[in-house]
Amino acid sequence: MTMVSVSDIRKQYATVTAVDGVSLEVRRGEILGLLGPNGAGKSTTIRMILNIIRPDAGAILFDGKPFSPPVQNAIGYLPEERGLYRKSTLINTILYFASLRGLSAAESRRRAYDLLKRFDLLTYYNRKVEELSKGNQQKVQFILAILHEPSLLVLDEPYSGLDPLNQVLLTEILMELKKKGTAIIFSTHVMDQAEKLCDAICLINKGKVVVQGPLGEVKNRFGTQAVRIEYEGDGSFLAELPGIRGMVRYENYSEFSLDPAMGTSQLLRSVLAHPAKLEIRKFEVAQPSLNLIFIQLVGAAESGGKGGGHE
Amino acid sequence: MNKYLAVGRWEYLEKIKSKAFLISLFLTPAIMAGMILIPAALASRPDTETKVIGIIDPSGKVHGPLGKMLEDRYKLPNGQPNYLLREIPVPSDGIPGAKAAADTLISMEAMAGCFVFAGDYLNDSIVEYRSSNLGDIRLTEQVFETVRDYVRQNRLLAKGLDTSMIRELTRPLTLRTMKVSRPGAEEESGFNQVFFTGYIFMMMMFVLVLTTGQILVRSMLEEKSNRVVEVLLSSCSANDLMFGKIIGLSGLGLTQMAFWAVAGVLLSAKMGTPLPPAPMVLLNLLYVVLGYLLYAGIFVAMGAPVSTEQDAQQITTYLMLVLFVPIFLMFSIAQAPNSGLVRILSFIPLLTPSMMIMRISILMPTPAEIAGSLILLAISAVAMMKVAGKIFRTTILFTGKRPNMRELVQFIRSE
Repeated sequence: MTMVSVSDIRKQYATVTAVDGVSLEVRRGEILGLLGPNGAGKSTTIRMILNIIRPDAGAILFDGKPFSPPVQNAIGYLPEERGLYRKSTLINTILYFASLRGLSAAESRRRAYDLLKRFDLLTYYNRKVEELSKGNQQKVQFILAILHEPSLLVLDEPYSGLDPLNQVLLTEILMELKKKGTAIIFSTHVMDQAEKLCDAICLINKGKVVVQGPLGEVKNRFGTQAVRIEYEGDGSFLAELPGIRGMVRYENYSEFSLDPAMGTSQLLRSVLAHPAKLEIRKFEVAQPSLNLIFIQLVGAAESGGKGGGHE
Repeated sequence: MNKYLAVGRWEYLEKIKSKAFLISLFLTPAIMAGMILIPAALASRPDTETKVIGIIDPSGKVHGPLGKMLEDRYKLPNGQPNYLLREIPVPSDGIPGAKAAADTLISMEAMAGCFVFAGDYLNDSIVEYRSSNLGDIRLTEQVFETVRDYVRQNRLLAKGLDTSMIRELTRPLTLRTMKVSRPGAEEESGFNQVFFTGYIFMMMMFVLVLTTGQILVRSMLEEKSNRVVEVLLSSCSANDLMFGKIIGLSGLGLTQMAFWAVAGVLLSAKMGTPLPPAPMVLLNLLYVVLGYLLYAGIFVAMGAPVSTEQDAQQITTYLMLVLFVPIFLMFSIAQAPNSGLVRILSFIPLLTPSMMIMRISILMPTPAEIAGSLILLAISAVAMMKVAGKIFRTTILFTGKRPNMRELVQFIRSE
């Protein structure tokens, strides 16, 4: 069941086309990863979906209907850059934002209590926001986004700034919401997270969709020709080997895709034969990671061909 | 609950607790009262020490009777004379030598000043007064008045009138001032009372516009810099947000005014000064409210595009200057409340409220002028709100450089 369908939206600012014909769909109970480098047009796309700014062209439908006040009340939003009213108390802040989503004060109080308890923030109930740590403020912002139980939740880099324990908690809650049928748009440039969470992705670059579809499908489209090697030694020569496209290289780990013309065994032979004498710990041929796909697609667009490099 | 009401309620309840508001609530009337009352109190405070005034009196006939007149008229609270005349002897080199001696005493602050009754002062009508401080208004008023009376009496004596006749002829006169607002309606009123009614309403509007205007700009700036504005705009429309803010802050302004009004009524009841008539107060309030809305629109339009504290500060400074124009013109308005210039200025919407408030308190303008200026002001306020709404919608998400005028016009057009 499609919750949001965006078709061919465009937005032009003075001389820059921020969004140039983006189309996407999010279904109920689905997490869509909205991916792309900085300045790709993710935020503008999100703002248009949220009706903060209007597209110059194209249509955005919610359950098949155009934007309306009830739709607005069914949306939750966590922006990337965050802040709160520092001088206000936690509970007043929550009640205010809930009232803007059309929730009654009594109902808001009840839900605020539950969520604050779950996020371990009950002690701050009547305290000023400025007394909260940064991480705790972030949890509050997430509470503001989900308190009214939205049917569409838009999250922009929700994990940034959270410690591992709270990351687990956030993931848990996202899974619950997903199970309840919430459609979630998850914008990030941390590919690992997207890969773990998303059902589908939409990768944007320079205002255009580069690739989109269910995660598995996207990965299949990029073949199984991704090679991951774990090793000890100086692996810098790997990038120079023939048939290698797009590379993510860490100190002891490299991932790249391989030209189909070059067989994996041939590659392995040339790695072993190289004078750098790498100590191979693991050699794997698998589906490419989202990270590699991202770097190949975006990197190719940046340099007009050869992608890859350090992360 | 409508969303703009939710915004208004929030702005009102949060800002009413803010320090800026509490300060303006209590400090403003304190400063205003201080500005009026302290100089008045200082000026009316009696002297505590006798002031010595020299007199160069070659005839030797003046200092005795004049000194007695001064002593009789002005006493210190402890019963001692307020002014003491001291004769400066005339040395062999004549008046110039006496003046030199007097100047020395004046510069040593042994004397407040010195009169010179040289020559035929009765016929020449010239008496000289030398002092290092001619700004002591009370001294000059009291002493000069006594000297004038003394000279007048001596002229009359010289014409052969007797002293009782002279007293009869020179008895003081009481001037009653009546304010006529329309034929048949008179009330006792002095310049100060008239002036201060207008002044107080004008001040009230200034403080209202400046404090709440500043709070408005600050609140937009805060939401911009902490990015709350994005969440707000995803939950309500830009119009809801803008009108909510204006409603909330108007409520704040009304609270402030109500507080001051109660304080003012209590104070005037205690001091026994009459309150201005109700229709006049209502008319003034109408100008204040419409003027406030116009300025609120301007604050939104100018405040929404800025993203730094300095830029915000600049805006309030500009607007303050515009607000102060009528203050500079206050005395010209008082002198000619119906002059062409005053009439023209009354129809410039930004100046209308303060100009009209001033004029109403001095001389009621014609009903046509009142109606015309109110309608024009109301139209401008509504138009300003519309423009402000457009600018607000398009620029509230901006951060960084403040857009220039041309860019702003483009935004408004492109909406």
